[in-house]
Amino acid sequence: MKEHILFIIGLIALTDLSDTISQLILKSSINALDWHIHSLQKALRLVWQLLQSARIWLGFLLSGFSLLIWLFVLSRTDLNLAFSLDSMRYIMIAFASVVFLKEKVGPARWMGIFCVVAGILMVAVS
Amino acid sequence: MTAAKKRLTLKILLFLIFTDLVETFAQFCFKKSASGAGLLRVDDLQGALFFIQSVIPSPFLWLGFICVLVIFITWVTILSKVDLSVAVPVASFSYITVPLVSAIFLHERISGLRWSGIGFILLGVILVSASTQGQKERV
Repeated sequence: MKEHILFIIGLIALTDLSDTISQLILKSSINALDWHIHSLQKALRLVWQLLQSARIWLGFLLSGFSLLIWLFVLSRTDLNLAFSLDSMRYIMIAFASVVFLKEKVGPARWMGIFCVVAGILMVAVS
Repeated sequence: MTAAKKRLTLKILLFLIFTDLVETFAQFCFKKSASGAGLLRVDDLQGALFFIQSVIPSPFLWLGFICVLVIFITWVTILSKVDLSVAVPVASFSYITVPLVSAIFLHERISGLRWSGIGFILLGVILVSASTQGQKERV
């Protein structure tokens, strides 16, 4: 049973959006702590520190939500279509990084991101 | 406060590739658990709950979750060193490694279009990495 394509596109957009927000929360929390990681021990300590903040758990909740929708999408469509559409996450992440994290995305990085998306579309449909 | 470089170094790139490999395995596990649950009708809350209920006993789901934990630790480390708009596109490396691994070990044929796609992704990753080389140290 094939679902309507717009329904699938909407669901994948929702997955990517929740994942983008979750990544934003994670990255901004890491930026706020500003640790220099040089060992596994230090990495684990940072993870532990992050786990104590409530907003990280909101991020996990969003990731869980994203995963549930993704599982649902995978049970309904073929991998090629799902992965092609999922490449919209790269564009979302780039915009979100500029707007919310004030990252500087110059022409080279934008071009790189578009090449990645174009490449994924080619791999997915081939 | 220590200064962390935002530049994408070879070490971080290797970390990203490792994360990708674990991520690929996790995707495989989740796909296995989802297809094991069969084609379920999820039209309402009850259907959704039934879907979750049938996915939870699958060992693949839990193996996937362990991978997610490993990925979280490496991902936090990566994000502490580079921009989000760098880490995410460079992590698309798995779209290259998976077809190459299938070609080498499973003797799958790679079509011309797929080779072009792999080329584009590689070019994209190179461009994104190059865009970080001029970045100053974060203080």
